[in-house]
Amino acid sequence: MPPSIHPVDLITALRQKHLTPAIVFLTSRRACDEAMETFDHADLVLPPARQEAIAVALERITVQHPSIAEHPLIPLVRRIGIAAHHAGHLPSWKIAIEELMRQGHLDAVFATTTLAAGVDFPARTVVITQSSIRKSRDFTDLTIGEVQQIAGRAGRRGKDHVGFAIVTPSPYIDLAVLTKGLTGQPEAINSQFTISYPMVLNLLKAHPHEQIQGILAKSFAQFQLNQRAELLEQKLDALHVQMEPFGPRVCTDWITQWHTFDHARRHRHMRHQTHRSESPEISARLPFLTPGRVVGLGRGRGIVLRQYRSKGQKNSMLTVLRPDSAVTECPVTGVKEVYDRTYDCAETPTYPWCSTDTFDRLSHQLEELPSHVPVLPILVSLGIEPLPDAIVQSLGDFPCPTCPSRPACQKDFATASRLRQEQQRHTKSIQALRTSLWHRFQERVEVLQQFGYLTPATQLTIDGEWARLIRIDHSLLITELIRAEAFTGADPSLLAGVLASLAHDDDRPGAFPRISPGLSSLLGQVRKLAESLSPYEDPPLLRADVAALVERWVADPTLTWIGLCRLTTMAEGDIYRLLARTLEFLSQVQTLKVTHPGLAESASQAITLIRRGVLEELP
Amino acid sequence: MRDTAVSRFARVPPVSLFAMTTDELETLLAQQPVALLHRLARGRVHRHFRAGKRRLIELLLQHSSQNRAGLESDLQTLIGERHSQSESGSSSVHHLPAITPKKASPRGTEPESAETAISLSGWLEGLGVPSPQPFVPDSWQNEALSALNETDVVISVPTGSGKTYVAVEAARRAMEDNRTVIYTSPLKALSNTKYTEFSRIFGPDTVGILTGDRQENGQAPLLIMTTEILRNLLYDAASGEIDVRLDTLGLVILDESQYLADPERGVVWEETIIFCPSQARLLLLSASIGNPQDIADWLTSIRSTVCRLVRHSKRTVPLRAGYLHPNGKLTPLFRTLGIPYGHPTHLHPETKRLFLEYEEETLPSGRPRR
Repeated sequence: MPPSIHPVDLITALRQKHLTPAIVFLTSRRACDEAMETFDHADLVLPPARQEAIAVALERITVQHPSIAEHPLIPLVRRIGIAAHHAGHLPSWKIAIEELMRQGHLDAVFATTTLAAGVDFPARTVVITQSSIRKSRDFTDLTIGEVQQIAGRAGRRGKDHVGFAIVTPSPYIDLAVLTKGLTGQPEAINSQFTISYPMVLNLLKAHPHEQIQGILAKSFAQFQLNQRAELLEQKLDALHVQMEPFGPRVCTDWITQWHTFDHARRHRHMRHQTHRSESPEISARLPFLTPGRVVGLGRGRGIVLRQYRSKGQKNSMLTVLRPDSAVTECPVTGVKEVYDRTYDCAETPTYPWCSTDTFDRLSHQLEELPSHVPVLPILVSLGIEPLPDAIVQSLGDFPCPTCPSRPACQKDFATASRLRQEQQRHTKSIQALRTSLWHRFQERVEVLQQFGYLTPATQLTIDGEWARLIRIDHSLLITELIRAEAFTGADPSLLAGVLASLAHDDDRPGAFPRISPGLSSLLGQVRKLAESLSPYEDPPLLRADVAALVERWVADPTLTWIGLCRLTTMAEGDIYRLLARTLEFLSQVQTLKVTHPGLAESASQAITLIRRGVLEELP
Repeated sequence: MRDTAVSRFARVPPVSLFAMTTDELETLLAQQPVALLHRLARGRVHRHFRAGKRRLIELLLQHSSQNRAGLESDLQTLIGERHSQSESGSSSVHHLPAITPKKASPRGTEPESAETAISLSGWLEGLGVPSPQPFVPDSWQNEALSALNETDVVISVPTGSGKTYVAVEAARRAMEDNRTVIYTSPLKALSNTKYTEFSRIFGPDTVGILTGDRQENGQAPLLIMTTEILRNLLYDAASGEIDVRLDTLGLVILDESQYLADPERGVVWEETIIFCPSQARLLLLSASIGNPQDIADWLTSIRSTVCRLVRHSKRTVPLRAGYLHPNGKLTPLFRTLGIPYGHPTHLHPETKRLFLEYEEETLPSGRPRR
């Protein structure tokens, strides 16, 4: 069995069941083009009358959009009545296909899912071949809304009694995604509010700083944040009710009181236990085993360098200096005798735990040590070791041990403290939800102040006044470039080239080998600046090939569209979109007529130069 | 006795069957053997095997209120099948079902599919072009238009329900009052399509289009632009560089408003709505979304009037889902004729079988994904 149905068989099957016209949604542009190629040798030829109708309709469209006149796909479309429609095509060609479909001349269109959102042309049937869609490099499952958007193209009002959505499998299809999509409720939509630099500048231009919080509060983002905050407030109210039995007792804030008391108690308890693990003889010795003390070990004698207790070690440990300057570790239990002799020892926090001088001196003194040294008499107390003073002190401070409500506190503490923690957490999140937009705004304000677009009093500076007119992506980078005078004296083609590399956000590869030295050095400057701005703004892709392509198009007015397309591997539609996006950016720069007349003039020249040929056809 | 036998086995033409009254259906059900009723009840009535014949008929009738056509067509299939079986059965001495070769009929190999699920022919029925009828606006369209006289309106309806009609009528009414109308779409391509379409409807002089670097007919009362352009206009107006036309602005139509949730551009819709002049009505057109009420509530909270939500989920042209196997076999995707909303697992048994087969053959590990 083939992994997916052959396009020719698919169309044959649809025609047989009278399910045409149909839109066949395929995974990629390439899949659409390949599907079209399979018809090259298939003998699915339309009757002459219909071929003629397509030709007539196309001619009528050509009057408006001359660029499709010589389109290489025309003969095939005419012969089979099927076309491909995707972002790789020129807008005028897409318009032609849409028009043919609307007039009912086509039996099927192979399209990518972008069509579902972008264009309005219905058919009797849609064919779905995939359950995921490519979104910025990764494939993600179609959402319910997307599936319904796709299926929604099926069934033309007034032309069909019913519409059909037909699933045909291809590898990696997940049928459950599609059935869920067809039968489910579309997802709720969420605000994607972001605060951009031009937004801050424009808001501050029109409104005083203290009004901004009120304006931000009008956003759908804040509306949804408030919804969440209200939910939390409800929870908070519920918690409040639950907290009622745990109100003030003998002390007002008994939860904290008990918490500290309990902590102190536990703390004491734990200390007590570690001491207990050592025999009274050993613990009695510990205070004497200080650095510089001479001790007798199983074999020979040594001088204590440090006493420590490490995790996982049951016993207290000693680091001992042995004869021949050896440094060894041994448990306190290994000490046979504690002698009545100590030497001065300058301690250090790292190996060998004393200063080099001391170390040399101690090694010397150890060798000089007389054979008999008196043993230190150590009194062993067999009673319970008294608590360290600090703890006794603090436990004594607590009224709890004798308090009448002690049993109640002890019993309720776990629940009450959990409830109170939840309360505190909710209160904090509510506060964050209510103020987060404002904080994000303030962050942007600070950056703009740092760069000198805003005064410390949040007034627009001279630079801020014109910078607010640049309302596109990477606006900070563009305004910084203008301030750095990167474009001064640059001719329209260079300006267009750089703006194209900023505007283009597609990572589909294209190739253009030659790049002019002027453009490449300017791009290098832009890249350096973009990197330095990266903490404040995501750097653009800055593709050199698209910059070079646009530069050529602007610099060489004799270059035809076909000639331009031959220069690169990019699809026609992508080149068109690149130029259209560049136009958008240029038109923003063009608005700086008053402050930067030279630059604005250069931009408007570039606009005129870009707008020729295919780009002249559509507004 | 003879009469009942005839009516029980008679091949009733589908048209008369589909037009049965409840009483007729009940009588017909009562005439069927209980085994057939159990087969009919499979997938329809929960724990049907515990119910007696009377109760079973009752439950089936109760269920038939949701999908009468499906029940009747299945009943018809079952009766037909029984009829053909009893014919072949009568020729043999035993009352065992006749042994038919596996490939004899596609229906026979998959008895399950015939029981509760819709057949392909039933699924394809009704396909065709309706006779031309004068255009009558749907009730929701009228509702939206009359609401727009007083308030802002949010419309959330399935794709292809006729949102454009509302936009066109609303624009026409606003222009009759000498008010400016702005229509925005998320994409330049859509703007161009709408420009052509509206020029055709209102005449080329009445419609203008604005892009970043170009204006065509910029003084026309109906202006088409992308949402970004409108946002920029509103910012310029807010900072004092007033475009005089905004004073006469009567209606702003935001098409494809579900773009509000677009990760990169959604913010533009919010800015546009926040800064939209209060004297202009807002008309938000959106595909089906999960929370249109939220959008309406939001508009109510920031605008001077109470926003009206118009929503429905019923498609104007009903939709059916099918499954086309790579070998060219077409089956309905779901057991029911229409889309079983809320029941994604109600797959057609034949489709289920074919798809499992497909997964086993194509997945490298030979193990289904879920």
